[in-house]
Order: sequence, then C-alpha cells, then structure tokens
Amino acid sequence: MNIKTYIRDQAFVFIFFFLMCILIYIFMIFWHINQSLIFFILGIIFVFFLFTFFYNFYQRKSFYTHFDSLLNELDQKFLICEMVKEPSFLEGKILYNALYDINKSMMEEMNELHLSVDEFKDYVEMWIHEVKIPLSHLNLSIYNHQFQSKPSILEQVHKIENQVDQVLYYVRSQSAQKDYLIKSISLSQIIKNVIKKNKDYFIYHKVKVILNNLDYNVYTDSKWLEFILNQILNNSFQYTPTHEAIIDISAMKKDNQIILFIQDNGIGIQKSDLPRVFDKSFTGHNGRIQKKSTGMGLYICKKLCQQLGHHISIDSKINQYTKVIITFYDDHYYDVMK
Amino acid sequence: MRKILIVEDDCALCQELKFLLDNAGYLGMILEDFEHAKDEILLTNPDLILLDICIPYMNGELLLRELRKETQIPIIMLTSLSNESDEVLSMSFGADDYICKPYNPTLLLLRIEAVLKRVYPQTISYTYHNLILLPERGILKCKDESLILTKNEMLIFKYLIIHQGKIVSREDIIMDLWDSEEFVDDNTLTVNMSRLRQKLKNFGYEKAIETRKGLGYILL
Repeated sequence: MNIKTYIRDQAFVFIFFFLMCILIYIFMIFWHINQSLIFFILGIIFVFFLFTFFYNFYQRKSFYTHFDSLLNELDQKFLICEMVKEPSFLEGKILYNALYDINKSMMEEMNELHLSVDEFKDYVEMWIHEVKIPLSHLNLSIYNHQFQSKPSILEQVHKIENQVDQVLYYVRSQSAQKDYLIKSISLSQIIKNVIKKNKDYFIYHKVKVILNNLDYNVYTDSKWLEFILNQILNNSFQYTPTHEAIIDISAMKKDNQIILFIQDNGIGIQKSDLPRVFDKSFTGHNGRIQKKSTGMGLYICKKLCQQLGHHISIDSKINQYTKVIITFYDDHYYDVMK
Repeated sequence: MRKILIVEDDCALCQELKFLLDNAGYLGMILEDFEHAKDEILLTNPDLILLDICIPYMNGELLLRELRKETQIPIIMLTSLSNESDEVLSMSFGADDYICKPYNPTLLLLRIEAVLKRVYPQTISYTYHNLILLPERGILKCKDESLILTKNEMLIFKYLIIHQGKIVSREDIIMDLWDSEEFVDDNTLTVNMSRLRQKLKNFGYEKAIETRKGLGYILL
C-alpha cells in the first residue's frame, strides 16, 4: 500500500471535495463575500481535509503493511490472527473480528478432522493387531498339518500378511509421531531375516538368491528396514520370469555411505515410468499388464526411507533387470535423531 | 523333555501352538487360570514361557515384571503389538526374546531353541548307529576316528537323523538349510549330498542314505 494507490482508491473523495470547494466558492461569490476571506476559509477546509486524509492513510498503511509482511513470513497462513495486533480503526476492526471468527471455525473444523483421522488410525492399528491373531493361527495350522495344496495356501497367506503390513506401515509413515528406534544394525542379518521370511516363495519357485559383500553395519530401524526390503523382494517376485529367476543382493562402502543394491532379472521398468515409480498410486506400464499392482508399496518405502534418512532409487533396463538402490549415510544419523 | 508354558488367551491359537511344540519334541502346556496367573506359573515351573501381552486380568508386561521378581525362567514375549516401545519395555523388564505375530513357525522354534540353549547350556549330539554327530563342533565321530563336516553337510545329516526312517523331500531339506541361513539351491544340495555320502562311506555307511526317485531321501 503506497500513497499513489491509496489516492487512486480514494479518488472519489477528492472529486467530491473539489466539487464542494467549487460550490462553496460560487455561493460565496454570489453572496458578495470578500474574495480573500473565501480563500482563507477554503484554505482552512483544505488543510483539515489533508490532515484527516493523511491520518487515515497512515493508520491503514501501518496496519496493512504489518499484516502483509506477517502473512508473507508465516508458514501456516491461518495463524495470522494470533500474530497481528487489533487495529484502531473501524474497517480494520471488522476485518480483524471476521478473521478471528473464520479462524476459530476453521480450527474447530480441523480439530474435528484431526480427531476423526486419529481415531481412524487408532482403529486401523488395533484392527491390524487383531487380524494378526487369526493369521498366526492360520500359519501354525498350515505348518502343523500336511495336505496337498499347502504351498499355494501358504503363499496366499503370505500375501495377506504383506498387505496387512503395508497398511500398518502406511499408517505409521503418515503419522508425525516417531515409532522407530535407530541403532547400528548388521545389514546382512536383516537381509537374511527377510529372505528367511520369504523362503517358501524362493524355494517353491526356484528363485536363486546371491548374497555378496554384506558385512556392514548401518544406522536404521530394523523393523522398518525389514518391511522396506520385504516390499522390494515381493515386487521382484511379481515381475521376475518363472524360469531362472535370480535376485542378487550386494552392498558397497563409498566414503561415509553404504550402498545396498537389490537386483532382479525381471521384466524391468519402462524408462518413461522410472521417475514416477515412487509416486502414490502409480502403477505404470507393468501395473497395467499385470493388474496386480496397487502403487502403494514403493510409495510407502520412499516415505519410510525419508523418515529414516536413507535414500532410495531405482534403475532399470527393460527386459533385463530392475535394481533398487538404498543409500545409508553414516553421518546422517544425527540428523535423523533430531 | 522341556516344559513350555503358553500364556495366551486365544484358545484355538493355543491348541495349534501346543501341537507345534509337541511335534517339535517339547511338552507344551497351556495356562488356564489367568486370574492367578503368577502363582499358577510358579506352580507348574516350566522351562520356558511364551507370553502374550494382551491377556485377561493383567497386562503381559506387568506379569513379566512380577515374575522376574521371583524367578529367572526364560520368557519369550509373543505378541501382535509390533511397537518399538512395547519391545523396549518388555526387554527392559527382562524378557529373553520378543516375537511379533504373525510369526513363522520354524523361526519360532529356532528362537525357542536358541533361548533354551543359552539358558541351559549342554552339548547336543545326535547318534546314528555308532556314528556320533556333534553339531557344535561340526564333527562326525566313529569310535576314535573323527571327520570334519562343513556346515551344510552337518545340517543335512542332522535333519536326516532327526527324521530317520522317513522320506524327506529335497524341498524339506532346503527349507531347513534356509532356516539356518544357508541359502542353497537345488544344485548345491546335490553336491553337498554326494559329499556327505562320500564322508559316510569312509566310516562304512555307504548305503545309509537312499534316494527315492521323485520323493526325496531316506536315512535307513
């Protein structure tokens, strides 16, 4: 707000003022009043007019510039009411009160929304814990009894488990509270755990696994990393050929980073799809031909990696390989702890 | 025979767990009176306890803390809660291990075995006729002579001895090897099998392991 724009905005005041001055002048001439007296009176009116005009301008300017600069600085604009001082002029007061009311009703609405989202999250977490009981039961029953279609049923149960896990970690990746514990953990141990978890698939589908050079310790949360690796492996299972499938897991140390590679010899990902594989609900070409993909797995992986302070990326060549690369930073440990 | 007490309120799951433990050569027992859980547990005096966190009358973590005041029986927490905080709390109250549902049954057995081994150390050996297998030292003994086995050979022979007289499929053996973190494929198993046979031949058990076509192997 500067003087020019304000004058332009208030142009009609000036126009009326000058019309008034001309009218007064004409009337006074008509009444044969002394010319110099007329100018004296008009002069006084003009001085007072200017005074009130600039006073108004100053009041508004000081309020609105303050208001604007605050609004620019604020990260969450709706907090403006808490920051700005109540102005002394009427329009300002109306604006202030209106903002206050709007803000209040929005806060209430948001609170309600937060509450219902939180309630829903709690319910989902509880539900997941509940559903794990029948799942364990199912697992035990399958293990305890021999029957013909055992491997295929086991595979389906594993799929349910993976999906349930996905929901759990999705809820966790969305919530602000930190439900993880960063420690120095043996990379090879975690990878072996994940492979053991999926051994049925590996063995029945004769997927060859090659482990190389994994004797490193990384700073991470073991459960979260296990979930991430499990998702990646299950993606590989989905997109590898039925014959001679190979999954190659290796790691290397570079400066203060440890880089983990998980490579399969599957159908690969089209180059145009690569930049978007971590987007939510993105299924791409492979998702369209297989129709099994939800586009959530990698999105959640990326989210979890961000929270843990790891970097995840994918490299692929169509019909040759897909390679997932996870980078663990040594010194980012402290950043994550903050 | 080691007594293992199951503290879990889902009856059907309890029965399956008991079945699993019984099959694995333990004596599975189920806690029925949750109201006086602590006294009941001390009375049965098991060798190991599988404890759920969500149980009636009391929280499993509290029960764990109460138990630890009086006994050092190994306790494995077995729960559907997969929060870090619950795990940390349980471990700090003195649990020996923490396993989340849904667990893999073989892994559960392996972890029970590991805890038992830690708490009640003893040398386990397996015998087949006059051969003695010492897994901890990786040695196969026959009278005064001894041969060193590789880890894979040792695991395969151990599995065969446990299932002596029954046909075991190649898949079963591979599964067992994978549980011990030896991620072998079909070819490697064939190679290891022939090496093991070679070593058995040295002791005169040339035809101990028979191949049943399409089914697997059998240790006679």
